Formats: sequence, structure tokens, C-alpha cells
Amino acid sequence: MTRMTGRTGDLEAVAEPPRADPAAPRARRPRGRPLLYTSYSQDMALLDTRAKKVWLALLLGVAILSSGLPDDLLILLAGGYVAAIGAIGLNIVTGYAGQVSLGHAFFVAVGAYAAAALSGDPEGRVIGFGITNMIVWLPAAGLVAALAGVLVAPLAARLRGLYLAVVTLGLVFLGEHVFKEWDDLTGGPGVGRPAAVPELFGFRFDVDSALGTRAQSLYMLMLVLLVVFAVAARNLARSRIGRAFSAIRDRDIAAEVIGVPLTRYKTLAFAISSFYAGCAGALMYTITGFFDPGSFNLLMSVQFIAMILIGGVATVSGAVAGALFITLLPRLTQELPALLPFVSGDTTQTPNVFQIQVALYGLLIVLFLVFEPRGLFGLWVRVRAYWKSWPFSY
Amino acid sequence: MTLTREQEHTRTATVVTRVRDRARAAPARVAMREKDLGIWQEVTWADYWENVQLVAHALLALGVEPGDRVAVHSENRREWLYSDLGIVAVRGVTVGLYPTNPPAEVAYLLSHSGARILIAEDQEQVDKALEVAGRCPDLERIVYVEPRGIRGHYRDPRLMHWDELLQIGAAHREEQPDAVERRMAATRSGDVATLIYTSGTTGPPKGVMLTVGNIEYAVRVLVEGGGFASPPPSQEDLALSYLPLCHVAERAFTVWFNAAAGVQVNFAESIETVQANLREVQPTILFGVPRIWEKVLAGVEIRLESASPLKRATARFWLRVADRIGDELVRTGGAHTPLTRTLYAIGWVFCYRALRERLGMRRVRYAASGAAPIAPAVLKFFMGIGVAMHELYGMSENTAVATGNRPGRIKLGTVGEPHEGVELRIDEMTGEILTRHPGTFAGYWRDPHATAEVIDADGWLHTGDVGEWVEGTHIRITDRMKDIIITAGGKNIAPSEIENALKASPYIKEAVVIGDRRKYLTALIGIELDTVGEWARRRGLPYTTYRDLSDRPQVRELVQGVVDGVNGEFARAEQVKRFAMLPKELDHEDGELTATQKVKRSAITRLFADLVEGMYRER
Repeated sequence: MTRMTGRTGDLEAVAEPPRADPAAPRARRPRGRPLLYTSYSQDMALLDTRAKKVWLALLLGVAILSSGLPDDLLILLAGGYVAAIGAIGLNIVTGYAGQVSLGHAFFVAVGAYAAAALSGDPEGRVIGFGITNMIVWLPAAGLVAALAGVLVAPLAARLRGLYLAVVTLGLVFLGEHVFKEWDDLTGGPGVGRPAAVPELFGFRFDVDSALGTRAQSLYMLMLVLLVVFAVAARNLARSRIGRAFSAIRDRDIAAEVIGVPLTRYKTLAFAISSFYAGCAGALMYTITGFFDPGSFNLLMSVQFIAMILIGGVATVSGAVAGALFITLLPRLTQELPALLPFVSGDTTQTPNVFQIQVALYGLLIVLFLVFEPRGLFGLWVRVRAYWKSWPFSY
Repeated sequence: MTLTREQEHTRTATVVTRVRDRARAAPARVAMREKDLGIWQEVTWADYWENVQLVAHALLALGVEPGDRVAVHSENRREWLYSDLGIVAVRGVTVGLYPTNPPAEVAYLLSHSGARILIAEDQEQVDKALEVAGRCPDLERIVYVEPRGIRGHYRDPRLMHWDELLQIGAAHREEQPDAVERRMAATRSGDVATLIYTSGTTGPPKGVMLTVGNIEYAVRVLVEGGGFASPPPSQEDLALSYLPLCHVAERAFTVWFNAAAGVQVNFAESIETVQANLREVQPTILFGVPRIWEKVLAGVEIRLESASPLKRATARFWLRVADRIGDELVRTGGAHTPLTRTLYAIGWVFCYRALRERLGMRRVRYAASGAAPIAPAVLKFFMGIGVAMHELYGMSENTAVATGNRPGRIKLGTVGEPHEGVELRIDEMTGEILTRHPGTFAGYWRDPHATAEVIDADGWLHTGDVGEWVEGTHIRITDRMKDIIITAGGKNIAPSEIENALKASPYIKEAVVIGDRRKYLTALIGIELDTVGEWARRRGLPYTTYRDLSDRPQVRELVQGVVDGVNGEFARAEQVKRFAMLPKELDHEDGELTATQKVKRSAITRLFADLVEGMYRER
């Protein structure tokens, strides 16, 4: 072959002559040419195509307009948004960095208790410090959970795959035991304790106010927080850190060879992921106002795993979709008796909606892993690719 | 007005003064882009002019005198343009070498042109030059652009890095800031600006001397007069530069369009990535040689074959509609009727918009084919899907100024009408096309004998192409004069027409029709490896190499089908009676193709003599 004239790889920059007009805008591009990147910032832009901008605006519009829905649905959706924050967190460590973690429930618990303790009534039955401002307890909950993540990380940095999964599984059991026994903090099993108070500079989100009902306030709060957390995660994914995570996921040895410090980035992945989990935990129970140490069991970890598997591994929008799907699933199955007469709404009869619900989790995970490992997001990618490649197939 | 004062002391306008004036009028506008490390790096007019000045000063520092030749051996890139304009600025002569030129041809071109300086792109080209440097006594210096594999490895004193060249230029400018302007001011329109070596299908290449005046004339007719893109190009237009710049057509579409009209030039990464680069750049003006258009068409075929049934059915339907639209456009000369406009608008939603986007031709407002004859069916396909396609005609010897199809007055199968002010006639005796205008070249370099053969006493240029008038306005080219086949039966046959009809099939890449002084016509046929390979794969036909695939009886049958189809369009005497499969892909390095990928007919018949004789042996 005579053409061996590749031009990449020559990193010695040719001396550029001084520019005549340094103030001239450099990152222009001709109109209507979305693939013509004239700078790296265009190439890495958060919303690099117009379609993405339009879709995002539409989705946000729908989400904001949804605040007019009935209150019980709003509460459900608010819970879904919080779960989505947690799922995004799990996606950072498991999806982007490829470290399987079954211990997500533990970090959620750490966050929940840290927040509850901080904002709790100092005179109350359980530990409380009376700092009810969200701007304090929310980051604090995240940081405490992140600290827990950092403590666990040295183990994670030494283990891979199945071994890591089992170690993190152990974490859940350990946590469950500690929280059940530590009555001063948790109130003990079957009793529980009040959750953190969602208050921001005197404004309470968990009571009806002039701005809307309790459900509406909580809904908007969770929506705004979800957007903040999701954008932060997307930015993280496209940054140097995100790329390092992906490199570790794809092949840790290769990543190390190209100069990614494994221990540091694995620790970072656990810390960030736990931060998200902690915040999600802190927020999750502000909606119900009360929680029990028995909630943070293996089932919760599995639910988070289900969210990212069904939604789409290593995508933020997938994690959100998966979280909403899993949260809304019980509500959907409750409608089943009306459609299918043989399904009963009564727990004493078989088959009932709760059995079907549990079976559906398992079934959906199996089906998605077999047919579309990229989850709901993968389905979307397929649809998009179908139309993008029109009139060809590739 | 500083411009007018400047223009006073530079009396002759050149591409260089045009770039200088643009750099002053709009310094921050984009002049060109080149993809480097994944990003289309932009070069403004100010950057462009700055680099041209530095190169020009460096050439002065290296002692380049008016009329000295400087060779450029590189793929299309920014430095090609900087070099070309820098050379012309100091009244030197640019000699372009094809990147695919093998060492033997490099030796010939360098020694024949007597180039003093060679600007070589990379190690590959430097190696070729060093290998033959002993045969090129005039060669004093080799400037390399890409240092990889050269710097720190080669010790030849003649070598110099591009950066060093620019530094010399900068130092020279410090000392004599107006040296280049002074040299430019002395430019006369009779100065030779470039040597364009003809591809040389017969014999060694000849160096066509184009003067500053020739180029200015071509710029006026082809660029400003809209001869090569109508309406005339502007700075809003984008072009993709991917064909060799040493060819007159690409020089016109890249250097001259850029300098004279401000068209933004985008350099493709390589000829292999043209498809991808087209999609990114979405040029508005696109020039291609027939081989490119045929390949795009073949690519559409392959990808449709492997598309899902619904997509395939939809696309096939709309391509049939496009065919109808194409027929109608051919009838009207390229102007839409209400019916075709309606059909196209509906098809645009379902197919054409997406198809053109994928091909990188969504925004093409003027597409042109030239440099070799092309099958009308290929042009019609592009017209049908809404790419305004125009066939052009010209050659190095007349600075590419001869004829072109004009929007709305297209006649398919012709090369169009003579440009404004071009004298063109057809020799009554030989049927040869003759042109006369200020763009006629100054002669072949160091070959007055050959010059006298093509320019007669009255200044008519003998093009060597046989043609005829169509309806008194358009010119149809029959063939190259020396390629015309006279069969044993005494019939004159133009092989290129048959060959192009064959090549219009996506399965056939090369076709060489033979039959001079023979009883009947035969053809050597080379398959298109991509499409036939895909075709074989879908039929579960295993194959290893090109030769293996060519020899498969099923493939022979496939080709036989194409040949039969083409034979149906021609008279009995013009039908291909037998054909043989070429056992290898034709290649420039093996001497079968010219640098412009044209088949060297004589070399082919010599190299594959046994195949040819086999076809004429009695069965």
C-alpha cells in the first residue's frame, strides 16, 4: 500500500504564526453541519445536537406541567425522582466505572441517618442536632456516605467482578445489623425514627403552603434536585474522570497501562457514587416523614440494580427512565385486577398483584439482559439508529 | 484606500494578490479547514496570507530566482496552498507531483522540470526523492512537512523541516520586509506560474506551462464567469478538496475558487475518507471525476442491498421515482416542471433528504464531473435525487477552459456549451475539437516540438479529442482521437462510450475495449471488489483474493449479464463479443494506470496480451 500518510499522531505542533486578530471568534462552524467540529468543546458538548436540546426541553416541559397531576401521583413521581438520583449514583460506580456494587442500600442508609440525625429534634427520643436547613443536611448526608464509600474503596480496589459483588453484599448485611441494633440513632426495628425535615431557609416543603400543596412542593423540589444531580453526572461522564472510569470498566489493566491510577479512580468512583446514594437516602424519607431500619435490605440494592439494568447501563437518562419505571411498576400492577379478572388485589389469594409484581422484577431483568442489555435507553438508541441511518441500515 | 495604492504597484493581478486582498478585507474569515487530531482546524485569511508570505520570504532567502521551479509532492493540505502561492509570489514555477507517483516517475518529473527545491509531505515522499536524488542534479533542497520518521533519523544535508523554512522566512522578512512585495510587483502576465504534467497515457508526461495570464483568464471565465459553478461561487460556499492538486481541475476548484471567490476549502483526510468527510463538511460545490461518482453510486447499491426490507423497498421505490424525475430533467435540460417538483418534494421527505445527507450532498448546489468521460446514466441518477450535476470539459493545455453545461440548459451526454468568449470549432477533416482563447498554454516545458504539434500557426489548440456539435450549441465528445478503434471491417468505434456504459454497473470498476484492426470487439473487465464481494457474500460464495473472485463462474455470469445489457444499447458492430476478466486490480505503481487513474491502454494490451489473444483465438 502506498498510502501511509496518516496525519494523526504527530503531536509536535507546527509553529502557528501569530494570529492577526486574536479577538476573532474561533469556535464557529458553518450552519447546518452538525458533524463539522471545529473545536473539541463542540465535540464534547453536553447537548451536541439540536435534537437533544429539543428533546430535553420537551421532557422538562412535560415534567413541570405534570405538577398539576393528582397529589398521590405526584408523591409517587417525587419518590421516583429521588430513586433516580440514587440510580444515577449506582450507575456511576457500576455503569461507568464497571465496579459491581450490591451495597448501594448501605450507602443510602448512611445518608438517610446522617440527614435525619442532623435535622432531628435535639429533645427527641433519638439522636438529633436540630439543623433543619436542607442546604446543610443534604450535602452533609452525601459527604458522610461518601466517606463510607472511601472507607470501603480499598477493598474494592483489590477485588473485581464477583468478589467485589460479594463484599459489597456483606456490607448490606453488616449495615442492616448495625442499624437494627443502634436504637439511639434509628429508633430500632419496627419503631423507626422521623426523617430529615425538608426545609430551606424557613420554607417547609412537606406542608401545604401558598405556593402549592405539600405534594406539589415536594414534587418540584425533587425535580429540581434530580436535574441538578443528573447534569452533574453527565458532566462528570464526559470529563477526564468519566473517561478514566470508562477506561477502567473496559479493561482495568489496559487503563493502568495508559496511565490511569486504578486505586485513585476506583476510590473516586465509590465516593461519588456513595455521595449520590447518601443524598438520595436523605431525600427519600422526607416524603413519608418516617422510616424503619429494616428498609435498607438486599431488596433495595437489587431494586437499584434493576433500575440501571432496565434503564440502561452507563447512561444518565437510562438511570432516570429505569428508576421511574421501577417506582411506577407497583402502581401499574395495581391496575391489573381491573384488566385481568383472575388477578386478585387481595394478598390472601393467588395469584395476587404483589406476587406478580415480584415476579415482574425478575422477569424484566432477565428479559432485558437477554434481549436488550442496554436497557430502555438501548431501545431508544435502536429506534434512533433506525431513523438516523435511513434509507440504509448502517 | 490602501488597496488601490497597493494594486498600483502590483500591476498584474495573480492568485497571490487576490489572497492578499482578501486577508486585508476580511482577515478573520475562514479560508480553509483541515482535519487534524479529530478537529477541523480553521485557517483564516490572515493566517493564510501570513504563511504565504513566510514561504515566499524563505524561498527568496534560499535564492529562488524568477522562473525557478519548485516542486510540491504532497496530498492536499494547507501547506500545499501556502507553497503554491509562496512560489508564485516570488515568480517561481510550481511543479505538482502526484502523491502516488512511484520513484521512477518522481525522478523523471524532478529532473525534467529541473526543480531546485522539493516540498515533500512526509517520509514516504522524502524517501522517493532521496532514492532518485542522484538523477536530479538541480535538486538542492528537500523540505519536509511531517517530521515523523525523518527528524533525528536522516542526516542528508539537503533536508529541511517546514518549521525551519518558516523561520528562515521570518528572519528574511525582518531584514527585508518588502522584498516579496517588490518581487510580486515585477510579475508579468507572461510569467510561467505552474507546470502541470499531463498524465501521459502514451509516452512520458509532458509539462504544460500555464502562465499567470492563463490562470487569470481561467479565473475570470471559470470562477467569476460561473463557468465551473453557476451562479458564481462566493465566500458562503464550501468545497471539499480531495483530488490531486497537481491536476488542473482540482487546482481550479481548490486554489483558484478559494483565492478568487473566497470559497472555504476543506481538505479531506485522504481519498479513502472522502465519504465520511463529505458527510461532515456537506459542501455546496462538489467536483468529482467519473470514478468518484461511479463509486458513490455503487456504494448506494451495496448499502441498499443490505438494508432492512422496509427501508429497501422505500428507497427502491423513491429511486425509481428519482429515475423518472431524472428522465424529465434530462428532457428539460435540468429545469424542474411542476410535476417533477411535486414528486421531488414528496420524495424529499421519504428518501432524498436522508439519502443526500448520508452521501454528504445535502447542501450541494452545484456538482460537476469532468477530467474523463462518464456514463450518462450515472449523471442522471444524481440529477434525479436532486444533486445539480453538470458535465464539464477542459484540459491542462487550455487551462481547463473549454465547455461546460449550464444550469437549466443541460444536455446529457454532452460536455456542454463553450464558455463565454471561447472560440471553439471542430476540424472538418478529422473531427478534432479545436479551441482558441487567452487561456491557451504557453507550451510544453522543454519540448517545443510537441508544442508545435498541438498549437497551430493561427493559435488554435488541437485538443486531441474527437467531437461533434449537438443542436449547434452543445459539444459531444466521441473519444480521444488516438483511442478510436478501427475494426478490421473498417468501422470507427469510440471505445470509451462502451467502456463507460459498462462501468456504470456497480459491479464493474474497469473496462478496456479492444478491437483495433480486429474482426470484432472484446473487452478486458475488472470487477469492483467491494460490490462483487458483497454480492458473493450474500450468495454464500466463498472467495479468497481478487483473482479468485474474478475467476468464479458465477461472477463471470454476473458480468456476462452486464455485458449483454450494454450490448443491447449498441449497434452490432459495436457489441462486445467476448470478454476476459482482469486477474488483478489495476494500479498506478504497476504502470497500468496514470496518476489520475486513467487506464494506459497500450500498457494494458501489452501486459495482458495473452488474455487478449485468447479472446481472438478460434474456439
